[in-house]
Parts: sequence; structure tokens; C-alpha cells
Amino acid sequence: MKAEGPLLETLTHRLAETPEDFLAEPRIGANGRIHVAAVAADLAKALGINMEVADVAALAGADPRRDRNRLSITLLLCWLLADEWFAKNKLPAEAVLELFARGSAQLAEQVASARFVTDPDRREELARFSLARLGYRPAGETVAQSQDRLTSLSSAERARVVQASRAAEERARAIREALAKKAAEESADKFTRE
Amino acid sequence: MLQFLREHPHAPIYRNQSGNRLTHEDIEQVRRFERETFAAEVGWRTGEHPAWLDDFVGRCFAEVPFYRRYGSRPKNFADIPTISRAELSRDIAQFVPDTVSTQRLINFRTSGTTGHALLLASHPVVAAMYLAFHKKALRRFGIELRYGRGQVGVVLVGYQRKCFTYVSVNPTMNESGLAKINLHPDDWRDPEDRAKYLDALAPEVFTGDPISFAELAKLPLQTKPRALISTSMALLPGWREQLERRFGCPVLDVYSMNEAGPVAVADAAAGGHVLLQHGMYVEVVDSEGRALPPGERGEVTLSGGFNFCLPLLRYRTGDFAALSFKGPEPVLVGLEGRPPVRFRTMTGEKINNIEVTHLLQPFSISQYTLHQKQDGGLSLRVAGLSHQTDSVRQALLQLFGAGQPLLVETVDSFDGKVVQYTSDLREETA
Repeated sequence: MKAEGPLLETLTHRLAETPEDFLAEPRIGANGRIHVAAVAADLAKALGINMEVADVAALAGADPRRDRNRLSITLLLCWLLADEWFAKNKLPAEAVLELFARGSAQLAEQVASARFVTDPDRREELARFSLARLGYRPAGETVAQSQDRLTSLSSAERARVVQASRAAEERARAIREALAKKAAEESADKFTRE
Repeated sequence: MLQFLREHPHAPIYRNQSGNRLTHEDIEQVRRFERETFAAEVGWRTGEHPAWLDDFVGRCFAEVPFYRRYGSRPKNFADIPTISRAELSRDIAQFVPDTVSTQRLINFRTSGTTGHALLLASHPVVAAMYLAFHKKALRRFGIELRYGRGQVGVVLVGYQRKCFTYVSVNPTMNESGLAKINLHPDDWRDPEDRAKYLDALAPEVFTGDPISFAELAKLPLQTKPRALISTSMALLPGWREQLERRFGCPVLDVYSMNEAGPVAVADAAAGGHVLLQHGMYVEVVDSEGRALPPGERGEVTLSGGFNFCLPLLRYRTGDFAALSFKGPEPVLVGLEGRPPVRFRTMTGEKINNIEVTHLLQPFSISQYTLHQKQDGGLSLRVAGLSHQTDSVRQALLQLFGAGQPLLVETVDSFDGKVVQYTSDLREETA
């Protein structure tokens, strides 16, 4: 965060106008259309970063049920980092690859990818999160300001997710208990067997 | 009615208790659903989706924890990942929508013939809704149920060593009687009571499976049901015709499962199983989950359904068929449970199990299994086949070749569901 990066508004505006191709379904097995690893590799090359086989493999995905949200976010990151400001500034290769692989996984646990485009707070979070991972802060902000704002955005979201996750666990437990108590054969007549 | 059913001098030993657990509001809901089911057309145009599907997918992604974890909703329905029994068996709670109250949840347990045991979420209203689809299926064959107060509407017959049995009444059919019985002699004081009791009940419909109907057919019944509904396992046309002759009424082969309820009914005039649920979208997919065009065989995959506690989104059933269209009506052609198995003749020719099914269809077989051993020898075990053993052997030898080692064994019955086709040979799955 030590270095000053682009204007935040440039990035959030860019996210709001993400083209269809970067919102398309990531290719996983026979599902989807966009090969995220190939898009990431092209971008990395344009940024002067060499992606090793293992880096590419990490962006392949194996199970759409588990990997599609993460790869959809990687695709959004590719669109974000294709902004001309990043091309003009030498980005740290390791940080970029880390953002593609683990950064997207971290975000995917909390937010469905489309919200990083449609929700203003999440657009700002993705822009700030990406800049921070690359060692930058938005232009015109002090380190403290940018740290505070990112913490506030992500903590609020994290708190929401933690609360939702607790509520979901509680409900799942209640459902399991309710089901365990009442076998259908004893509690509802059915007219055929299966 | 309950007293009559339970205390009849020839009544079986009822081992359990059940009940419909329906409130007045539930009964109204079930009746509304029945009217909607009768009025609705089932189907969609080739290459299109039914109009309701878009909203249904949206609700799944918004309200169902399991689907929510997929992330954002894909633009194309075909990009939604498929699920199978394995996902349902891992934690069914993840499939219950946030909007469903836990207060009246009930469970259906199913062991299946292979793989994962399932505990499924359901509701008394869902159980009562089954009847709408049975009535819709019966209407297709010109039968309107008439039973009401003071009569017995349905008797569910099982034939197992151990079976859940009870009596109840149906409030949506004017408190008419319903009994679930086990024809196994162990459940009766005197095996001869079985026919006397069923004659006294004189139900309008028997429901059961090919095995329990085989036992029912042996009884000297005088009562004349208006229909038999067979579920739970494959009913071969030859056996169905024999049952129809025996009982003098239509025998419906309903494709039904705990996960989705009654999905389709066999109709020879339509060339297969026609769909029953107006809120169910059916695809046939390949091993990668890609929807196949009409006419190609693949795995039957379901989206939608009337069980509001368990909305299915591209659920792979483990059953196989081709989807074809008779006008706007989708039909499942060549429906088979379990993945296809390829047998091998002694000359190395591959034979898909569906060819064996077609071959055995004319015979009066209530249930069978065919297994191929490592040395290529075939072993056919059949129930319900009395005098046609030689004809079946000849038919199989015609298909596999005269030099095919073949053991045909008749059994009284199988104990429940079976895996019909198995092979010890490698690459047996087609």
C-alpha cells in the first residue's frame, strides 16, 4: 500500500462496465465457455509476467460446483488488471499470481462474483483489495485512509458473512433434528412406494 | 373406517401407525394443487425451456444454501452444474430452502440398490400431493377415481419379510380408507385371510410393485379393482399384460422416486413414459452433464418438482432413457434404471443391456437379474417365470449366439429391489 496507484473511481467505473466476455461462464470440464487460465496467461504476458505451468494449472478448476465462483472472480480480476494504468507500471509478478489464485479464492468464500460488478460497495472492495495485494493504494489517499476504508468495507462484509454462516449452520442443525424426529412413514400417508 | 380396517376378523397384523397430518388449510392447498395439475399442460418445445424454469432457478440460487454456494447464477441453464444422489446424501439440510419452516418437516428414507443411502426432506402436504399425479395418470387411461366416505380407495401392497404397515383415511377423498399391507404370510394370522380381507375392503386401486403384484395375482380374489399402479421397479410389458388379464383392469407403470415423486407413466401409444408433473423439466444428459438432443440416450436429469422442501436443479437420477417429443409432449423412451451395462458375446460383440430388456419384454417375468462372469458366462435369475424358461433361454441364445454359456435359474422372488444388469468384465459400462 506504500505506493500510490490509480484513481479508485477509474477502477470501480471499469468494474461497473465489465464486458460480457468477462462475465461469461468459466470453462470447467465440459461446462462453461471462457478458459480463465488462458485469459490470465494472456494478461500476465501483456504485463510482462511469466506464468509457470503450476500457475496455469491453479486456474483450471475441476469441479464447477466448487470452482466456478472463484474462477469467475479471477476473470473479473483479469479485466480489472487490464486497465492501462497497470500496463504502464511494473507489477510484482508474485503478487499478481497470488491475487489470481489465492486472492480470488478468499473473496469467493464470501461473495458471489456478480456482486463485484453490480454492488457499489463490492466494486470498491474488489478495487481496493486488488490494489492492496499489489502493494498500492488509490491515488490521493494516505496509507491510513486507504487501510481504514478497506478494513471497514471488508470487515462489514466479513461480519455479514460470518453472521449469515452462523445462522445457516444453526438452521441446518434444526433441519437435521426435525428430520431425525419424523420419519415420513409415521407422519404422512403416501399412495405408492418408491 | 379405521376401526373397520383394523378390526376386521381377517385383518392382518398391522405393525405401525401413520396419518395424513393435514390441516384444513393443507387440504385446501392439496385440492388447489390437484385442480392445477389436471388443468396444466406438461411440456415445452424442443430446444426451449418451460416458462416457469427461469423463476425457479432464481429462487434456488437465492434461497437454497447448496445452490447459493455455486456463486452467481449462470446466464445459461446448461451451465448450471448437475448434482446426483451423492450430493443429496452428504447433507440434505443444505437443499431445504430458507423459506421452509422446520416445524412440519418429515423425512423419507431410501436405501436404493447401490450406493448412497438417502434421507430426504419432505412435508405432509407433499405426500398428499402424490395423489394428484396418480389421478392424472389414471385419467390418461380413462379412469376417474370415484371412492369416497365409507369406501376403501387405495390399498398399498408389499411383499417383504419386514414391511411398514398401517391404516389411514384420506381427507381429500372424503375420509375414504387407505391401507398399507404386507402380503407376506408372516403378517397374517392365516394366509387365507389375505384374499378374504382384500375382498372385504374392495379397494378401487391397488398400488404396489411387480413383486407384490405377483403375490397378489396368486390370491383367489373376487374383488375387481379399477386399476393397479406399479412403482418402485421396472415393470416389463409382458408381465403387465398378464396382470391386466388377471385383474381385468389397466396396470399403470409409474416412474417414481422419493427424490421427485411420480415423474412419468408408461403409455405404449406414446412410445414410452409420458411426463406427469407440470413443474418438472426433464433433460437427458451425457456423462459430462451436457444436455443431449432428442432421441439420444443418456441420464434422466430433473429440475423443479412439487416437493417444496427439496427443489431439484439438474438432478441426475441414475436412470437412463432417450427424450422424444410426441407433438409438444415429452416422452422418455426406453427408460432403464441404473447406468447401461455392455455385455459381450463369445465372439467379442458388444450387446447393450437395453437389447436384453427388449428381448425379455414379452415374457411374464416379474423381476430378473442378468450377470456376466469374468469367463463370459451369463447367469439369468428370474422370478415369476413358470413355464417359459426354455423360450427365454432360446431368445437369449439367439441374441448372444448358440455357443454362449448360459445358466437360467428361477427363483420364487427377490427380496426387494435388485441391480438388474451386472458384469465382471472390464469396460462393462457403455
